[in-house]
Amino acid sequence: MCLTLCVYVCVREIVIVFRARSVSQVPVAEGKSVQQTVEMLNRKLEQLGAVKQGNFCVDCETYHAGAIGNPGQPPKFLYVMHNSEAPLSCFALFENGPCLVADPNFDVLMIKLKSYFQNAKSNKVESRGARYQYCDFLVKVGTATMASSARGITVEVEYCPCVTANDCWNLLMEFMQSFLPSHVPGVPSVFGVKTDGVYSPSDTMAQYLELFSKLRKQQAATGSGMR
Amino acid sequence: MEAPPVTAMPVTGGSIHMMEYLLQGSVLDQALESLLHRLRGLCDNMEPESFVDHEMVFLLKGQQGSPFILRARHSLDRPAVPWHLRYLGQPEVGDKSRHALVRNCVDVSASHSLHDFLLEMGFRMDHEFVAKGHIFRKGALKVVVFKLFRILLPGNTENTEPLSLSYLVELSVLAPAGQDTVSDDMRNFAEQLKPLVHLDKIDPKRLM
Repeated sequence: MCLTLCVYVCVREIVIVFRARSVSQVPVAEGKSVQQTVEMLNRKLEQLGAVKQGNFCVDCETYHAGAIGNPGQPPKFLYVMHNSEAPLSCFALFENGPCLVADPNFDVLMIKLKSYFQNAKSNKVESRGARYQYCDFLVKVGTATMASSARGITVEVEYCPCVTANDCWNLLMEFMQSFLPSHVPGVPSVFGVKTDGVYSPSDTMAQYLELFSKLRKQQAATGSGMR
Repeated sequence: MEAPPVTAMPVTGGSIHMMEYLLQGSVLDQALESLLHRLRGLCDNMEPESFVDHEMVFLLKGQQGSPFILRARHSLDRPAVPWHLRYLGQPEVGDKSRHALVRNCVDVSASHSLHDFLLEMGFRMDHEFVAKGHIFRKGALKVVVFKLFRILLPGNTENTEPLSLSYLVELSVLAPAGQDTVSDDMRNFAEQLKPLVHLDKIDPKRLM
């Protein structure tokens, strides 16, 4: 489960915020399918008192830098991601490299660049699910799919009032324990890299990217009844 | 904290068929004030908006013949404003009677990590310059009067010298493809600026 710690600096009215979030992966429950595990998590959240507020979607497309670069160097992968929480933005990242936040026209630019960056369409990963609000927390439980097959479950927990990632990690962990007793993750790696400690939306996307990369590499989620 | 007012699908894609219609001209430094005065009268804004921008032109060399060009621009006097990335296609060859230069244009607003990101993509900076001037608007028409400055030390935007003793004047409109009345409106506007400045369709290839 990735906890995205998002911290927002301002009053509630301001919509554009940086919030501390953790994004992580939850293993599928023993003997259950992905869908059943997701439903179980949703029910637990509702029992806690969380209120469902719409849906969310995070997706990630892979572009392969084919025709450029020095020969002998490993090929580069460019990831273009979208997050329904930031509908007018497009995120472009290199793994362990710089992250660009741009407007949706960046997708159009990637079409223009198609002879330099090829879109590996079969590698597209998406996580979709319900969005829950519980007091100052936002929880998103999603089913991650690749090529129409479910690969795993992502849970994003956001603590809205705090922007300094390291300050609220303990609180996030405690909250996660209330509905994910055995799968609380470790501190996300993006927190360690922060110089000023202020969290931003690109940190969330970096966490999702790390998670999606892991899901791409592992086999389709195991568990009886898994489709 | 309600969900953003969108459907479950994030907004993806933009407009692939936006075209830039362009007319260019120039005026000597001495003629600048009269031109600004005329533009103040003809255009929408009461006071011209001034700007100081730093533009870097990046090239991506591939296996094909001509490199892919991207222009990254950011404001020096408003540093918090996002960077602007622009792709300009080849000028459309077509109707000779069309009054303006027409080319495909893709504009992207981007975060301040744009420069490093382009380098990571494989782009290399070809040249850079500083542009200082004024911007006017009349409906969809945009008129920019600016002076180009050469950067003497790479990356140092404080140390610049003017490239010429004149100001470049550009009249442009961004419109979806196929709207040919745009160039007629531009020509009519350009007529009103004569004889202070003559705005013409300049074919970039002829300058090479």
